[in-house]
Amino acid sequence: MPATTTSYWNPKTETLPKDRLRALQATKLRALVERAWHTSPFHRRLFEKAKVTPEQIKTLDDIRRLPFMTREDWMANQADKPLFGDLITRPPQDAIRYHLTSGTSGRQPLRVLDSRKDWSWIADMWCYGFWGFGIRPSDTVFFAFSYGSFIGFWGAHYCCEKMGCLTLASGNMTTEQRVKQIVEMGATVVCATPTYALRMGQTAEKMGIDLKRDGKVRRVVVSGEPAGSIPAVKKMIEEMWGGKCGDTAGMTEIGTIMIFECDHQPGGPHIIEDHFIEEVLDPDTGEPVGYGERGERVVTSFGRGFIPLIRYRTKDLVCKVPHTRCTCGRTGDIYEGGILGRVDDMKLIRGTNVYPRAVEAVVREHHEVEEFQIVITRVDNVQDEITVKVELKPDQEDVWPRLQAKLGKDLADAHEGLRFNLDLCKQGELPRFELKAKRLQDLRPQY
Amino acid sequence: MTNHDKDLLGNALSKDDKELLDLYARLKALSARTDLPPVITANAKQAMVMLWNACNDLALIAEEPGCD
Repeated sequence: MPATTTSYWNPKTETLPKDRLRALQATKLRALVERAWHTSPFHRRLFEKAKVTPEQIKTLDDIRRLPFMTREDWMANQADKPLFGDLITRPPQDAIRYHLTSGTSGRQPLRVLDSRKDWSWIADMWCYGFWGFGIRPSDTVFFAFSYGSFIGFWGAHYCCEKMGCLTLASGNMTTEQRVKQIVEMGATVVCATPTYALRMGQTAEKMGIDLKRDGKVRRVVVSGEPAGSIPAVKKMIEEMWGGKCGDTAGMTEIGTIMIFECDHQPGGPHIIEDHFIEEVLDPDTGEPVGYGERGERVVTSFGRGFIPLIRYRTKDLVCKVPHTRCTCGRTGDIYEGGILGRVDDMKLIRGTNVYPRAVEAVVREHHEVEEFQIVITRVDNVQDEITVKVELKPDQEDVWPRLQAKLGKDLADAHEGLRFNLDLCKQGELPRFELKAKRLQDLRPQY
Repeated sequence: MTNHDKDLLGNALSKDDKELLDLYARLKALSARTDLPPVITANAKQAMVMLWNACNDLALIAEEPGCD
C-alpha cells in the first residue's frame, strides 16, 4: 500500500489478527526475558527471587510467572548504586540521551538513558500515534514544550522530523509568542498538555486572536494528563482551536507513548500491542481483571534496550475494552476513556471515593470556568472538607450564584451526594501550568 | 537471532523484507569498522539504526535493541 494512502504507520503489525499478535508478543517476551537475565543484574535478582528462569517462559500466559517491577524498587536501586543502578544493560557512555521523570508526584525523579536504537524506537512509537491520528508529512507541527530534561514531547518532535513534517520547537517562548508563531507559521498541528492547550487558547482570546478564524490548526495532540480523554476538556480545546483533539499517553519509564487515539476516536486510545504487553490487574490482588473492568496498568516494553521494563506496575487506573469497539481496523485493544487516574490518587472524603480526574470531568462541563483547584482540609482534626476553588472567565462573575448551585449539585451527584464547598477566586489568582498540572492540594495532616 | 528465511511470525520473507535485511546487515558491518573516518562511521551508524527500526517494527528481527 503506498505510504501516502495508508492510514497505518505499520500496516503489517497494526492489523495482525489477535492470535498472531499474541504469538508475536510471546516471541518478543521470550527474547526480552533472556536478554534481561543476561544483561540486567537488577532483573536477574528479581527473577532468581521469584524462582523463574528464561526457559520457563514459553507462552504469553507465562508472563504471570515473572515478578512485578515497581518504581520504588527502581528508585532504591538508583540510590544504592548511583547514578543509574544496575537495571541498565550497558555502560552509561554507550547512551546518547539522558532524561528524568517529571517529578510531579514529589518523589525523587528517576534517571533514564537511551541508546541510538532506543531513541529511534521512541520516535517511532510516536509515529504510530501521529500517523494514526491523521498527521502527515505535509503538516506543520508546533510543540508547546520546554525541551528540558523531562522527556515529554521530545520523542514526538523526532517523530515529526522522521515523518517529514515541518517541525517547530518553542522551548523558551512565552505563551503569547507561541500563539503568535502558531498563527504566523500556519501550524496545522499543535502539541501540548491539555491544560496548556486551554491556556494558549485563553491567551489568544486575550490577545484578540481567534484561533479558529486566524489559525490553520486541524489537529491538537495532547499528552501528559488524564484530562486528555475527558470529553468536556476535548470539546473545549476543539472549540478554541477549531481542530480535532486527540489523546496520547506515555511515561518516562518507557520513554515514549504506549497508547494513542486513532482518527476514528472510538472513545479511547489504542494500545500499541506489537511493542508492549499491557496487563490490567486488580491493584490489591495482582489478578487480571476482564474487559470493561477497572484495574491497574502493568506494562512490559519490548523497545528500550538500555532499560528492560518487565511487568512494571504503573499505578495508572484504566479500563480495557476490545479493539472491535473501533472500526479503524487496528487490532490493538482500547483503554476506554484513556488513563482514568492513578490508583493511588483516590482521596477518601467522609467515606466517599474522590478522584481528581472525575472532579475535573464535572467542572469542565461548565464553560464559564477558566481555572480551578481542589483543596482538601481537615477541620478540628476530625472532619474532612473538600473545596473546589473556581476562577471564572473574564466578565462572567454574574453567573456565579447560578453556577455555584449547579456545580455543587453536579459534583454531589457524581460523588454519592458528597458536599463540595465552592469558592470563587479572582482573575489570575489560581496557578497556571505548562507541563503537568497540579490542581490538587491535600492539606490534611500526613501521619 | 535473525532468521533470513522467515519473519518472527513464521511468514516467508518478501523481496522487500530481504532487501531491508540486506541493507541493514551491510550498514551494520560498515558502521562496526574501526578503520574509517568518523564522517563515515557516524553517518553509517545513524542509517543502520533507522533500518534496524524498520526491521524491528516489521518483526523481521528480534535483536538486542540497546546495542549499536
